[in-house]
Amino acid sequence: MDERRTGYLLTVLLLGQLVLVAIEGARSTRSLTYAEVIGLRILGPVARLVSIAGGGASDLGHKVRLQGQLLDENRRLRLQVEELRLRLLRLGDVEQELARLGDAVSYSAPLLGEIRAVDVVYADHASWLRSLVLYTGPRSAAVNQPVLSPAGLVGRVVVVAGPYAKVQLVTDRAASVGGMILRTRRQGVVRGSGQEGGGLSLDYVPLSADVRPGDSVLTAGIDGVYPRGIPVGTVVAVEAGGQLFHKIRLAPAVDLGALDQVYLLEHAALPQELVKANSHARR
Amino acid sequence: MRAAKLLASLAAAVLVHFAGTRLLPTFPQRVDVFLVVVALSALEGSSLPALLFGLLAGLVQDTLSSGPFGLFGFADTAVAYGMARLAQRLVIQRATGVFAVVSFASLLQQVILAALAFLLLPNPSLPDPLGMLGQALKAVACGILGMLVYGLAGRFRLAVEVRRRGRMGRLRLG
Repeated sequence: MDERRTGYLLTVLLLGQLVLVAIEGARSTRSLTYAEVIGLRILGPVARLVSIAGGGASDLGHKVRLQGQLLDENRRLRLQVEELRLRLLRLGDVEQELARLGDAVSYSAPLLGEIRAVDVVYADHASWLRSLVLYTGPRSAAVNQPVLSPAGLVGRVVVVAGPYAKVQLVTDRAASVGGMILRTRRQGVVRGSGQEGGGLSLDYVPLSADVRPGDSVLTAGIDGVYPRGIPVGTVVAVEAGGQLFHKIRLAPAVDLGALDQVYLLEHAALPQELVKANSHARR
Repeated sequence: MRAAKLLASLAAAVLVHFAGTRLLPTFPQRVDVFLVVVALSALEGSSLPALLFGLLAGLVQDTLSSGPFGLFGFADTAVAYGMARLAQRLVIQRATGVFAVVSFASLLQQVILAALAFLLLPNPSLPDPLGMLGQALKAVACGILGMLVYGLAGRFRLAVEVRRRGRMGRLRLG
C-alpha cells in the first residue's frame, strides 16, 4: 500500500476513534464496546495468572518471615473478636430499637443487600486513568454494581466480560457519587479529582453549610447506584471556592493501593421498573 | 513473520506491564511499556504496519484503563504513524538516537491524551506543574527502556547471526 493510501487509512482510523471517544465522553453512563469486552476476556486471564504467580512468590517469602509473628497476632485477634462480639451485642439492641421505632411510624429502611468477596487481579490506582480488574468467578458481576472494601467505597463495575469485571474507581476523574456529611447530613456530589495521589472533592455544598476538616462523608443513596451509609472519605480541606459553594477536598476512605480482595454489593438501588421507565424516557 | 514478531512483542509488553504493576503499584505512572514497543516497531520505517500495531497496542491499553474506549487507541495510532514517517527521514542507529525518539514519542502521546481529555471528557483539567514534571520523567524512563530493549535486541540479532555463520562454516568444512 502506498503512503497516500496509508494516509487515508490513518485519517479514517483516527476519525473513527475520535467519534467513539466523543460519544463516550458525552454520555453519563459508560457504553459497552464489544472490542473492550473481548479485550477484557483475553487480558483478564493473563492478569489473573500474573497475580497468582506474583502472589505465590510473595506468599513464600511472607510465610518464612511471618511464622514467628503468628502466635502474637492470633492472641491479639482473639481479644479483638471478644471486643467486637460485645459491640455486636450492643448494636443488636440498637438495631432492634430502631426497627421498633420504625414500625411505630411505618418506616421501612432500605436493605443493604448481600456482599460477596472477589479477587483483584489487576490494579492501576496511580495513573491518570485508573482502573481495577476483578475476577468474580462463575457468577458474573453486573454493570453499576457497587464495589466496597471493609474501609469504604471503592467504585462501581463498568464493564463485565464473563468472570472478569472492570471497575471505575471512586477517585477516577469521571466518577461521581451522591455524598453526605455525616455530622450535618448536608448532601453534595463527590467527584474524583483525577490528580496524582487520587484525591476526591465534595461539590455543590453551599457556603452557608457547616463543614469542617475531619468530617466523615458517606454515600447519600441519592444517585441510583450506591446505597446510603457507605464511607467515602474524610474532609481534609475547606476553602471558599466561589460565590455559592465551598471547595472541599476529601481523602478517600479506602487505601486503593492496598486492595487484593474487594466486595461486590448485590443491591438494587432503584426498582427495575423505574430504571426501565427512565431509559425509555431518555430515548 | 513480521506480524508474529509484533504480536509477540505486544504479549511481552502486556506481561511486563502486569508484572510491573503487581510489583510496583506506581509502575504505569512511571513508564509506558506499550508506548515503548509501539515506538520501537515504528522505527523500522513501514508506516502501515506501524499504525496498525499502534492501534492494537492502544486498544489493549484502553481495555486496561478506565477512560473512554479509543483514547489510547487514537494517541498510539497517531504516534506510531508519526514515528514511522520520522524513521523514513532519519537514520537512527545509535542507542542515544533511540532514546531521543522514544522519549519524544512518549511526550507526544501525553500531549495528545491531554488535548483529547481537555476537549472531549467531562470534568476536564490540565495537568498541574508537578504532574508535568512526572510526565517528563516518564518520557525519560520510556526513552531509557527503549534504548535498553533496542540494545538487547541488537545483541540478540548479532549472536544469532554469529551462530548461523558458524554453523554454515562447519557445513562447508564437512
